[in-house]
Amino acid sequence: MNRAKGDRAVKNENMIFPRGTVLRIQRMSVEDGPGIRSTVFFKGCPLRCAWCHNPESISNTPEIHWEGHKCIGCLECVNACPDHALSSTDNGIAIDRSKCKGCLTCTEICPSTALEAYGGTMTASGIIREIDKDRVYYEKSGGGVTLSGGEPTLQPAFARALLKELKEHGLHTALDTCGQCQWETLESLMPYTDLVLFDVKAIAPEQHKDYTGVTSTLILENLLKLSEFMESTGMPGSLWIRTPVIPDHTANPVNIRAIGTFIREKLIDRVERWDLCAFNKLCTHKYEGLGIEWGCRDLDLVAEDEMERLAGVARKVLEKPDMVFTSGQLEKPRLSLITGGKG
Amino acid sequence: MSTAGSLLERHAVKEPKNLSPRIQWLREYYFKGSSRAWNNEFTAWSTGAEWDILFDELTFYIVPETYAFLQTFRSSLQQAARNVQLHNDFWKWSLPERKAWFIKEVMLNYVPQEVLPGDLIAGGRFNVQTSKCWTKKEAQERDKLIYGKTGARAAMKWFHDHGYGNSGATSGHLVPGYERVLELGWKGIYDDIRSRYESLSVKDKKGPVGGQLRAMMTAATMAKDLAWRYARLCERIGQDEKDQARKAELASMAKNLKRVPWEPARTFWEAVQSLWITHMLVMSDENYPGPGVSFGRIDQYLLPYWELSLSEGMDREFGKEILKCFWLHANTAYDAMIRIGNQGITSGYGQLVSLSGMGPGGRDMTNDLTYAMLEVVDDLSPILEPKPNVRLHRGSPEKLLDRTVEMISMSQGSPFLLNFDERSMAGMMAEAKKAKVEHLINEDNVFDYAPVGCLENTMAGNDRSGTVDNNLNLFKAVELALNDGRDFHDFIDPITGKTEKVRQAGPSTGNAARFRIWDDFWKAYVRQTKYIIKECVDLYEKSESIRAKFCPTPYVSCLVKGCAEKGIDVTQGGAELSFTTLEAVTFATTVDSLLAIKSLVYERKECKMKELIKALKSNWQGYETLRAKATFKAPKYGRDDDEADEMARMVMNLWCEETWKHRTKSTLRQFRPGMLSWNYWVGDGFILPASPDGRPKGRFLSNAICPVSGADISGPTANMNSVGKALGGKAENGKGDWKEYFNCLPNGASHTISMSPSMMRNREQREKFKAFIRGCIENGGTSLQINMVDAAMLKDAQKRPEEYRSLLVRITGYNAYFSSIGHELQNEVIARISHESC
Repeated sequence: MNRAKGDRAVKNENMIFPRGTVLRIQRMSVEDGPGIRSTVFFKGCPLRCAWCHNPESISNTPEIHWEGHKCIGCLECVNACPDHALSSTDNGIAIDRSKCKGCLTCTEICPSTALEAYGGTMTASGIIREIDKDRVYYEKSGGGVTLSGGEPTLQPAFARALLKELKEHGLHTALDTCGQCQWETLESLMPYTDLVLFDVKAIAPEQHKDYTGVTSTLILENLLKLSEFMESTGMPGSLWIRTPVIPDHTANPVNIRAIGTFIREKLIDRVERWDLCAFNKLCTHKYEGLGIEWGCRDLDLVAEDEMERLAGVARKVLEKPDMVFTSGQLEKPRLSLITGGKG
Repeated sequence: MSTAGSLLERHAVKEPKNLSPRIQWLREYYFKGSSRAWNNEFTAWSTGAEWDILFDELTFYIVPETYAFLQTFRSSLQQAARNVQLHNDFWKWSLPERKAWFIKEVMLNYVPQEVLPGDLIAGGRFNVQTSKCWTKKEAQERDKLIYGKTGARAAMKWFHDHGYGNSGATSGHLVPGYERVLELGWKGIYDDIRSRYESLSVKDKKGPVGGQLRAMMTAATMAKDLAWRYARLCERIGQDEKDQARKAELASMAKNLKRVPWEPARTFWEAVQSLWITHMLVMSDENYPGPGVSFGRIDQYLLPYWELSLSEGMDREFGKEILKCFWLHANTAYDAMIRIGNQGITSGYGQLVSLSGMGPGGRDMTNDLTYAMLEVVDDLSPILEPKPNVRLHRGSPEKLLDRTVEMISMSQGSPFLLNFDERSMAGMMAEAKKAKVEHLINEDNVFDYAPVGCLENTMAGNDRSGTVDNNLNLFKAVELALNDGRDFHDFIDPITGKTEKVRQAGPSTGNAARFRIWDDFWKAYVRQTKYIIKECVDLYEKSESIRAKFCPTPYVSCLVKGCAEKGIDVTQGGAELSFTTLEAVTFATTVDSLLAIKSLVYERKECKMKELIKALKSNWQGYETLRAKATFKAPKYGRDDDEADEMARMVMNLWCEETWKHRTKSTLRQFRPGMLSWNYWVGDGFILPASPDGRPKGRFLSNAICPVSGADISGPTANMNSVGKALGGKAENGKGDWKEYFNCLPNGASHTISMSPSMMRNREQREKFKAFIRGCIENGGTSLQINMVDAAMLKDAQKRPEEYRSLLVRITGYNAYFSSIGHELQNEVIARISHESC
C-alpha cells in the first residue's frame, strides 16, 4: 500500500485511474459475507456510532497513531516532526492533533512502525493486484471481495470503479454499507454488486440519531428503494441485514423486535439472512492510539444467554428462524444469574 | 480452582472415546508409563568379547542433545549387557552374517515373549541394543575412524559448534516393503533371496555378496520363528484361560501366528499381525525404536484383507479393535528409555501411517478402511503413534475433508500431518528427472509415494533416502559472507571453557564493507553456500562410510528392493532409490537476512555495511534503531510480496542446484534437497550469531519453510502462497513436473501454521476452513500442520508479542492482531478462545 501523504489524498473522483483512501485490505476475511473474502476497508464514515469498532476508519484522511508496545524509545519522531506535534511524555509519545498536518514524516522515520498511518491512497488496479492473489481461495469457498469501512459509498466513483473491475475479473462482490448516502450513489454501485450487507441499527429515527448521530430516515428509505430495485432489476442478487448488538444501545428486545418487524413486513422476500453481531471491545487500543475518549469503553460484553434471548426474539418475529445468525464476542452467563447446579 | 480454570481444562484436551473395556485397559496401562510391570525398555546384549560395542553413536549425530552423553551411552550399555552364547562358527562368519544371527538369537532365545491381557496382536518387546558383532580388529579400526582429531566425532562436533548444523548416517526413515510381506509372506522373500544366492558363482558365494545374501536368508526367517514362539505362548496362556471368549481369541491368535508372517496373509487379523511382527523387528534390527520407520499407504495395502474379512463376517468394530491393538503396540516404541520420562529421550519417533490420497489416473483412493482408521485415531486420541498423515488432492471427497476438519477442530489442530499430493508428487517427479530414475518414479507409480518420519516424502519398499541425515543452517553462509569466510566470534566451549580463535574456515570472499553493490554481496553468499554444502557432504562421508563398512542391517535389507538384487546391504546403498537428503534449516531467517542487507545497505541506504556488521557482532547492543529497521522496515518472506518471495526463490534454487551436484563416495548416494528443521531451529539459535533480519543471538531461527515467526503479517493465505512460490509455484503453460505444479524439494518441506479455533466454531466457519484447505492444495506447499491456537499459546503471545505479530483474533466484522490489543482485552480473548475451542 502506498502510504501517500495527506495532501495527496484523493480529491478528484473522476480521474481516469481512480484512487481511493483505503484503510487496509484484510485477506482471509471470514466474517464479511460468504466464503473466504478479502475485505477492502474504505476510510471515511458519515455516521458516528457510539460503539464504533473501527474508529480509525471514520476520518477520510490518513491519521497517525502510536503503539507503545512497538516503540523502542529512540525519539527520532519527536525530533523529526516539522510541526512539533509530537512529544515524549510519561505515557509515551503524545500526538498533538491540532498541530499535526498529516505529513507522515514521523511514520517514515519511525524504525519500529510504532508510529503508523491508518490508511493511504490506492488505485483500483493496485487493489485488484493484491486481491487477485487469493483468487483460488475465493473460488474454493464461494467467497470474493467485500467493500467495507468506513463507508464505501462516501467514495462513490472509486467504489464503482473498483466494483466494476472486480466483476470484470470474475470475482464475487459484496458491499457492506450503513445506507447513509444518496440513493443514486447506491444505485450506481448495484450493477457491479452481488450482495449488499446492509446495516440496520435501529428503526426509530431519534433513537438512531442517539446512537449514530443521524436519524434512520434516509437509511431505511434507501433500504426500501434497494428492495424495490432488486425486485425490478434482480440487482444485487442478495441482501443481508446486519445489526450490531450493543449493550445499553441496540441490545434490547424492543429494538430487535422493531427491526425484525420492519424486515418481516417490508423486506421478507428480499432478505436472505439477518446477522446479529455482538459488541466487542477489541478496538480499545485503537481509541487510545488515536487519542479519542471512547464512551463504550466500560460497557460489558453481551452475555451468552442475553444474546440467545435476542436471537430468539429475532427468530420469532421473522417467523423464519433459519435466517437469523449470531456472532461475536460473548460473556459467559454472569454467575449471579445462574441458579441450580450449573457452572 | 475457578470455574473458568476447570472449563479450560475440560475443553482444552481431547479425550479418548468409544473404547471397549479391552482397549480402555490397554490404553490406560500404556499411559501408566514407568510404573507398569511390563514394558519395552531397551535390553542390552553382548557377544561377551571385551572389545564389544553395542551403541552406534553415528545414528545420534543428528541429535545434538545427546552429544555430551555418547560416551556414557556406550559405556553404560556395555555394562548393562548380558552375554549371548555364541554359535561355534560365529567368528568365522562375515560381519552381516554375524549381525543377522546375533539379532535373531537375541529376539528368539533371550528377549522374553509376552502377550498383554486382552491384546489381539502379538509382538511385545522389540527395543534392544545388541552387539555390533565386531571382531577385535574391526572394533579397533572403527574406533580409529570415530575418535581422534580427524575422526567422525570431532568433525561432527566442530560442525555443530560452529553453527553449520549437523550430519550423520541415521537409521530408519523409510517405508519398508511391508506390502510385499503381506502378499508373498516372508517365505516368498526368503525364496527370492535363496534363488539369488544359489545362482551366484562359487567365487561370489565366498565373497561379500554371498555373505550378505546368507545373512539376509538368516534374517528372513527371524519373523517366522518369532511368530511361532508367540503362537506357542498364546496356546499356553489359552490353556489356563477361564474366559471362553478370550480363550477363543488366543486360539485364533495362535493360528494366525503359525501362518503369518511366513505365509501370505489371508484375513485382516492375519495381515495386521504379519505387519506388526515384521515392523517391530525393523526397530530391533536397527537398535533404534521407530525413527521414521513408516507404514506408507496402510489403508491401501490392508484394504483387500479388510474387505475379505468383512465379507466373511468380521464385525467392523472388531476390525477396529484389531487396529487399536496395533496402534497401542506402535506406542511402545517410546518405552525404549522409559525411565528418563514418558517419551524417553526424544519424541522424535515418526511411525507415519498415510491415509487416502491419489491413485492411478488421478483417482481418489479413500475407502472404508481410511475412515475406519480415522475412527481409530479419533477414539484413541490423544495418542502419539503411529502418526496419522492424511493425503489430500484436488479430487479428495468432501466427506474426507469434513472428517479431517472435524477432528482437527476437536484437538487444537492435531493430530494430522496433511500432505498435498500434487505438490508432493511434482517433487518426486523432479527427483526422477534430476537423478535419471524415471524408470523407478514416473506417472504410473508416483502416487504411491509416502512420507516417512516427520513428513519426508519417499517411495515405498525400495527407497532409503537418508531423510534426516544432513541438516544444514543456510544462514551460516550469510555469516561467512559478511565476514570474509570467517565466523563472527571465537568459539568458547561451554563445557571446558576453552577458546578456539576465529580462523579462515570458508573461502575468502572479500571484505563485505567494501562491496559496492548488492550483487557483490550475493556473489559472496553464493560462494559461501557452496562451501557449507561441501562441508556437510564431507562430514556425512565420514559417518556414512563407517556405517557402510561396519553396520549392516540385513533384516531391513530384506525389506528394501535393490538389496537382494545387488547383494549389498541397505546401509551400503542397496536400495533402488538410494538418496541422502540435505535438509535446509533457517531458510526464512536467511532469506529475510539477505532482504534486510539488500534493503538497508544497498537500497534504502539506512546504514553502511560496516555498521551492520558491527551491530551484528555486538548482538545489536547499542544498535536498537537499526535493529528495529531490520525487523520492521525491511521486506520479509511470507507476506505474498512477489519481490521478497523472489529472494526466497533465489536462495532455494541456489542450494537445491548445489545439493544435487553431490554424491557420497562410499555408497554413491546422490544428495537431494528437503526442508525439515526438527528442533534445530530452536537450539541452533543459541549458536548462530545475530542475523541481519533483526534476530538477536539466542532467539529462535525460522522453522523449515515457514516464514520467520511473526513476519507473516498478511494472514494465512499470504503465508501459504509464499510457501508455494518458494517451492516453484505453478507453470504458466500448465507443464510443470506434475500437471502444472513445480516443487524443487522432493523430500518436501515442513510447514506449520497457527489458526484461531474460532475458525471452527460452527458449520459455516468449518466450511470456510475446508475451502482454505482446498486452496492450500492449489497454492501451498507439500504438507501442512495446523495449530489451533490455545490459551497457553495466547498467554505466551502476551509475554512476547513481537513473535506473534501475525496472530489474528477474529470477531464479527473485525479482525485484530492479538499483539496489538491491550493486555486486559487479551485476557478476555484468552478466556474466550479457551471457551471457543470446546
